[in-house]
Amino acid sequence: MPKKYETPLLDELEKGPYPSFVKEIKKAAAKNDMAADELGQLEKSYRTKRGYWKHGGIVGVLGYGGGVIGRYSSLPDEFPNVAHFHTVRINQPSGWFYTTAALREMCDIWDKYGSGLTNMHGSTGDMILLGTRTENLEAVFAEFSSRGWDLGGSGSAMRTPSCCVGPARCEWTNINTLDICYEMTQEFQDELHRPAYPYKFKIKVAGCAVDCVAAIARADCSIIGTWRGPILIDQDEVKNYAKKGMNIKAEIVDMCPGQCISYDGNELKIDNSECKRCMHCISKMTKALKPSGERGATILIGSKAPIVVGSLLSWVIVPFIKCEPPYDELKQLIRKMIEWWDDNAKPRERIGELIEAKGMRSFLEHIGVDPQAAQVKFPRKDPFIFFKDEDFEKVYKK
Amino acid sequence: MSLPQRRTDIGPPKYDQFLPPVIKKNYGQWKYHERLSPGSMVHVAESGDKIWTVRVASPRLLSTDTIREFCDIADKYCDGYLRFTSRNNVEFLVSDESKLAPLQNELKERGMLMGGIGPHVSNVIHTQGWVHCHSACTDASGLVKCLMDELAEYFTTKELPNKVRLAVACCVNMCGAVHCSDIAIVALHTKVPVIDHDKVKNMCEIPTTVASCPTSAISPDPAKKSIKIKEEKCMYCGNCFTVCPPIEIHNPEGDGVAIVVGGKIGSLRSDPKFSKIAYPFFYNDPPRWPKVVAAVKNILEVYAANAKKHERVGEWIDRIGWERFFKLANIPFTFQHIDDFTFARETFRTSAAFKW
Amino acid sequence: MDKEELKNKIYAFMEKYKGKKKLKEKDVCKGVAEETGVTQDEVKKALREMIDAGRLMYSYGGGASSVEIPSEEYLKEKGLA
Repeated sequence: MPKKYETPLLDELEKGPYPSFVKEIKKAAAKNDMAADELGQLEKSYRTKRGYWKHGGIVGVLGYGGGVIGRYSSLPDEFPNVAHFHTVRINQPSGWFYTTAALREMCDIWDKYGSGLTNMHGSTGDMILLGTRTENLEAVFAEFSSRGWDLGGSGSAMRTPSCCVGPARCEWTNINTLDICYEMTQEFQDELHRPAYPYKFKIKVAGCAVDCVAAIARADCSIIGTWRGPILIDQDEVKNYAKKGMNIKAEIVDMCPGQCISYDGNELKIDNSECKRCMHCISKMTKALKPSGERGATILIGSKAPIVVGSLLSWVIVPFIKCEPPYDELKQLIRKMIEWWDDNAKPRERIGELIEAKGMRSFLEHIGVDPQAAQVKFPRKDPFIFFKDEDFEKVYKK
Repeated sequence: MSLPQRRTDIGPPKYDQFLPPVIKKNYGQWKYHERLSPGSMVHVAESGDKIWTVRVASPRLLSTDTIREFCDIADKYCDGYLRFTSRNNVEFLVSDESKLAPLQNELKERGMLMGGIGPHVSNVIHTQGWVHCHSACTDASGLVKCLMDELAEYFTTKELPNKVRLAVACCVNMCGAVHCSDIAIVALHTKVPVIDHDKVKNMCEIPTTVASCPTSAISPDPAKKSIKIKEEKCMYCGNCFTVCPPIEIHNPEGDGVAIVVGGKIGSLRSDPKFSKIAYPFFYNDPPRWPKVVAAVKNILEVYAANAKKHERVGEWIDRIGWERFFKLANIPFTFQHIDDFTFARETFRTSAAFKW
Repeated sequence: MDKEELKNKIYAFMEKYKGKKKLKEKDVCKGVAEETGVTQDEVKKALREMIDAGRLMYSYGGGASSVEIPSEEYLKEKGLA
């Protein structure tokens, strides 16, 4: 029987309507020594207001440099069963779809070798197995990989790509997000398992500008689906929306950032040449409006959290790229971006920060993309300008 | 005990083997969807086929027992298919309409919360916290639980002007990337780290540690073969601690959380935005962080009372102005609200036009 | 250069920096390529074989991944000691 700890503070978090993580830890702790000590140590953190974890060191299974996050209790005498409490990242299937058969199999393996605790899912997208001992790592990997699962990324490496639900269950997607995510993950297997980059590199794929996977805020390379044709209008459905009480002028016309929609109380019109493809009208009148024409993606670069010199949102690099299997153009573009970053970055410098430091020109020239107005919010304001001799030959002497 | 043969570099299983037959058949051919309730929706394909989705809340930290419970339910009503969302909700995928109501009844009986679709609060994106992280300065799961106990109605029933995306990050590394959320909590340090010089000498590379500081507060200390910190330049980001753990940044009496507001991810109506500081600091107050919960609820309710339909928190604030926001939300404006980091000059008001 | 000889050079390079500087995979490839005149790609291939065999290992610390000479503990755990 696992040790039972008194947890008066954590018990408070079993109360209330929302599902309780404390109940989850207790469920596992009833039959698992590691989970029991996890609970005991967490109660102590609630008492003293500090964490007791150290990390580093062990990073994976033989041959890999990622997928396992070494985690050790800093109080191994008090909580010996979490002296090792390593995280294992399992690369999730695109779109987080599962069969119950697959999930049950994973649960059985994890009960056998780990704490019985998981995150469904981690911030980057992986299935997270919380807490196992070093000597179990090879066994966990053999059990999972023999059944067709692989580890996710960690450390200075390509991280596990992720994507929105896309064509599996959404009418708005412009690209096959699940397939692009899968193919990119396969393309970068070596870089994902064997950390050789200056720092992390994340890819996220969103089917449209609603961006349910937060690609624009959380991926070094953000792939966001878009289209080039007009928005098709079903006027009967427009009438239905009006009939059901939608205030089309206030909710649709007045909220259009391109101010390109008009409505006379009967018919909706869109000046497609002024449409920014923001997705507001389409998402609110999904039965009446849909994109048409050529589909592809906008490629943006650079987003990240505040460490080290402030958070960034991704910015446009390639306004439009076709995304058809086998996605060779996309793969080559990403490889070129990474090559430039890998050659120039300091340790722990993300690609967005490096572009700030070295300038867009160096980056764009390396990846072979022309400067375009769509890449900036506004052009340079101060007349301090770099010129190269070739610029005069190519542009200003003409 | 013999183990099965390991394989390397195989990547994840291909997604198509986990898709319900109706999705496989109508893949990429969806026509529209309708929200039936805050916790359910139906997607209709060009073929006329339909799939119903029932979304339930999850604490993200799940025991294998609970995952098996989800599996039992999915076996009974969903032919063994389910998925998780990018915000860690669980979605039951129903292909047979006659199973929809019985599923919802059973979920209710089991005490699971259905909701989060449309103009509601959805599951909260969050990080590991004291549960499992070395750099945490609060407990993310605990904060989320307290917050959502208080706001559960906004998940299950009560409508808002638009969806409100909440997030909690247990340090500024922000594994949960909370920096573009409608309302987010981010934990931070407020004290200059304490250096264990003997350990620095043995464990850390001095040049790397010096270079890790975004405000150039760190310089070498050759006499001690260690580093020194110019206290007035330190913003307590903790990047030095990550690079060199003997620079101890944790301080239980000084650690706490800030609340940021007004961020968004989507491009709908207006461009994606960063969240900005509303409340710069609360002390950690486990197990229920009452002041933090009250502050988040305050912002949410002021937004609900004042924003136009479809406006996100950040769009509402942009329309009324930050000076009005602070007044409406009754939040005192302090030195901590005025930026003095990398992008500060872009944040100063360069116009004499503003609201009293 | 014979592959075993290259591996020995890589190992010697690693020993030289042991305890002094954390080496990323790229530092090793660059450094050994400069010393020996073989291409970085060849060094990388040899390095990978050494890691697969447990003669070297990946590690993580100080916010970055690196390559190291394995500890006794690691070798024992992988059944290689």
